Amino acid sequence: MKMRRLLMAIVAASMFVTTSWAEPDAKDAQEAFTMPEALQKLISSVDDKGSAVISAEAKTYFDGLPSHAKRLFGEAVTNEYIGTPTQLRDLLSLKLNTSKLELVLTNNCLLCHTNSAYQNGPTLFSLDPVAAGSPSYMDLKLLLNDVHMRHKLACAGCHGGDPTGNMAHDHPAEWPADHDQRIADPKWIPQFCGRCHSDAKFMGQFNPSLPTDQLDKYKGSHHGRALLEGRNPRAAQCVSCHGVHGIQAANSPASSVYAKRIPETCGKCHGDPKVMAGVKLDDGSPIPTDQYEKYKTSVHGRALLEKGDIGAPACNGCHGNHAAAPAEVSSVAQICRTCHARNGTLFDGSRHKQAFEKNGWPECERCHSNHAITKTSDAMLDTSKGGLCADCHDRFAKEKAPTCKATAAHFHDTIVGMSKATVDYKGIAADLAERGLDIEPLDDERRNLDDALKTSRSQIHSFDRSDFDEVAKTGLDTVAKMKVLTETAEQDYSTRGHGLLVAAAMLALLSLGLWLKIRSIERDQRKGR
Amino acid sequence: MSTASPRSGGIFGWLDERYGISPLIEYMRHKEVPLGAHPMVWYYLGGMTLFFFVCQIITGVLLLMYYQPGETTSYESIHYIATKVPFGWLIRAIHCWSAHLMIMSLIVHMFSTMLLKAYRPPRELTWLTGFGLFGIALGFGFSGYLLPWNELSYFATSVGTDSVKSVPVIGHWMLLVMRGGEDVTINTLYRFFAGHVVILPLVCFGLISTHLLVIQRQGMAPPIHAGTSTHGMPFFPNFAMRDLLLWLICLTVLATLAWLMPYGPKLPGMEWELGAKANPLAPAYPGIKPEWYFLWIYQLLKEFPPNLMGMEGPQVCLLLVNVLMGSWALIPWLDRKAQRGKHSPTFTDVGFAVIYFLTFLTLKASDLGVAVTPTNDAATAIVASYCAWVTLGIAGVTTLTRFFLYRHRYFLLSAAVLTHIALHGLVGWSYLTVGAVTVVVTAIVLTVSGLTRSGAEGVES
Repeated sequence: MKMRRLLMAIVAASMFVTTSWAEPDAKDAQEAFTMPEALQKLISSVDDKGSAVISAEAKTYFDGLPSHAKRLFGEAVTNEYIGTPTQLRDLLSLKLNTSKLELVLTNNCLLCHTNSAYQNGPTLFSLDPVAAGSPSYMDLKLLLNDVHMRHKLACAGCHGGDPTGNMAHDHPAEWPADHDQRIADPKWIPQFCGRCHSDAKFMGQFNPSLPTDQLDKYKGSHHGRALLEGRNPRAAQCVSCHGVHGIQAANSPASSVYAKRIPETCGKCHGDPKVMAGVKLDDGSPIPTDQYEKYKTSVHGRALLEKGDIGAPACNGCHGNHAAAPAEVSSVAQICRTCHARNGTLFDGSRHKQAFEKNGWPECERCHSNHAITKTSDAMLDTSKGGLCADCHDRFAKEKAPTCKATAAHFHDTIVGMSKATVDYKGIAADLAERGLDIEPLDDERRNLDDALKTSRSQIHSFDRSDFDEVAKTGLDTVAKMKVLTETAEQDYSTRGHGLLVAAAMLALLSLGLWLKIRSIERDQRKGR
Repeated sequence: MSTASPRSGGIFGWLDERYGISPLIEYMRHKEVPLGAHPMVWYYLGGMTLFFFVCQIITGVLLLMYYQPGETTSYESIHYIATKVPFGWLIRAIHCWSAHLMIMSLIVHMFSTMLLKAYRPPRELTWLTGFGLFGIALGFGFSGYLLPWNELSYFATSVGTDSVKSVPVIGHWMLLVMRGGEDVTINTLYRFFAGHVVILPLVCFGLISTHLLVIQRQGMAPPIHAGTSTHGMPFFPNFAMRDLLLWLICLTVLATLAWLMPYGPKLPGMEWELGAKANPLAPAYPGIKPEWYFLWIYQLLKEFPPNLMGMEGPQVCLLLVNVLMGSWALIPWLDRKAQRGKHSPTFTDVGFAVIYFLTFLTLKASDLGVAVTPTNDAATAIVASYCAWVTLGIAGVTTLTRFFLYRHRYFLLSAAVLTHIALHGLVGWSYLTVGAVTVVVTAIVLTVSGLTRSGAEGVES
């Protein structure tokens, strides 16, 4: 008994010892930071009305920081980079995580230019969200998420100076010296960004897959030419699309040039008549500003913006991005072909190809339009109410109009017939399934019909009746097969019904016999009684 | 061994000579089915249930010839049965229809036995084995449901087996035993399959044999009516042939239903469309409901809050369900008056009260076609009031019939249940709160009036 007590005492004591050893270690780490007097003074400072500048919440945040972050605060205050209680308050109230905080506290540019003790006027920036919208506001959270900042290219990378040392500095040589001129005529910007972005070796250190031909492309683009030739200082340059502070990689959904946001970004200028004032098309007419509105309702726009299909083309899908140019009549069809290849090949082999070239018509756009392109419909082929084919042939190729209209009507009737069959058989299959019949063969054929329908719709771009008939034959054969399958299933069902009737009749007969037997037995029983 | 038989020739004579069948037939010929105070229809329900069970065995064995349990075969083989196997659709449809009709006739059989007090001595064992068979039938339903391994059955089984977790102490262990692991996997299907085609049938045969043996030995229970004697109908051949006639009709109905609606009537908890294959990685979709005979428990669980009286809500709920089912099983010993061959109007009223209670919960769980999302309180309230009206309507008709036709005069318990339903469904008070209040008020009224001791007026049948 005594031994057991002794053992328990030893165990308890050793547990106590190990826990009491563990405690001071952790405390030591916390206590390693001694608050410099200057920092203490800033933290406990009061404003004119006598209330504390640093809120209790901000103090709690500070207390919860690891000691090395606190030390960085202490050094920044001791070295006077943080000089006012409001500057400290604004920094603490951002509640940055430790790694971002380290980035800020070791960047003297950020600290100095938010310190009203050293800066004033246009060189003093405020971190307080109250100042949001004003030129003096610095959105530090946005800035810290900047793709350049994350690759350690901080303020000095563009603005010049040394963030760790000398406070006095000049702007880089490429910058126009005059501030107002810098803003009013931004043609220096592409060249400035190009210093790094055109240097394949330099960029390879950060993102080897990033192209470095943007500046070259830009110089040849409409935007580039307009800006660099001095025709239009409003023409888009790097900053117009990518932003300045807070630039994100293009594949980040937060980026202004992310696929889904491109139409909106382009639309900011191209949808604004004021910005586009004076810009003319090649034919001298003013450039329209309704492209974004039209695009939003188009089949491409809805796929991208509503369904979130980032494979759907945005503005840059057809116009390019850095080399932005309006697709020329000769090239627009090539752009469509990058996705709609089969239709393009068929068109190239058709008689329409020469006719379109002769008239100088853009190929696809002629029937399908451009920014407002809608989902194609079989009704486009309908000649009974005018329609696309009839309309064009009546105006431009009257002599062939009757034959072509008949061909179009044939295309239309065949395709509509197949399309109706897919819908009809969906209902028929559901009804048969409900009745417990095997619809697998019918479903298989329906899938075949879907494929045949798609191919037939595409085949009309050959504008050749015999070619079309060859492709459509698969679909028409499938429709015939489906008809036979439906009839077989219906026959099967009726056989089941007849089988049931026969079985029920036999059972009824048996029941009747049984009932008569019961009656006869009971009659005998009554007689016997 | 019997030698003197009127039918001593042929196969019968040969068998009779060796196994003495004549005395058995003679016994059955003298055995009588009581006639008189209540309609004979109640005597056929046991036989009807047996018929559906026989259908289950026959169609079950036929399905077994093609069904292959397994991750990649269960769903596929059922699909194959339903689409490619000759008459496979019919066998599966009959198996499903017959399962539901069996449970229906079983429930009606139980309630008729209960309301007519056929459980009274000396037939306690008949009641108990019958009660056991009811449990087995539910087990058949629950285990068979998973076998097609489709999306609906997978998630319904996940939810269903999850509820055993609420059992204190051994809940988790029970879950592991049921599922064969932490989750519903193919191992669950294997053990459900074994249960469905081997374990449950074995237990079931034993119980059915006992159930039939005691019925044949004691005969069917005559109605309680003081002083009057009943005349009977010979069990063989009169009653047996009538039974056979009914079975023929049932078979015709079964075949017709299978032809008309091979995938069931599409009522909540009563459809067996195969749908998509089970995908354990897919998220469970909302609105998964069990078979119709479990709907009342499902609804009761929904009425309970997550925590109640320091216990988990589902725990309290399942405890309540077990207490109710336990009392139900022990009814031959609880009903003292029936034990003495006297009318027990209280227990008749208990029977009706239970019917209304179950009807309301089942109706409410089935939504009555109103699509209710869990957040849509307005729709839930509409469903509750609609179900309350339907239940009150059914109750009104049955109560009037009881009052005028059967001269029942004791309605306290059914009135309590109906008040509960009306206050919840029509006034919109919480199901649980009104339930508690109704129980307390009823207990006080019962104590004060002393009705439990003095019994009620009127003649019960």
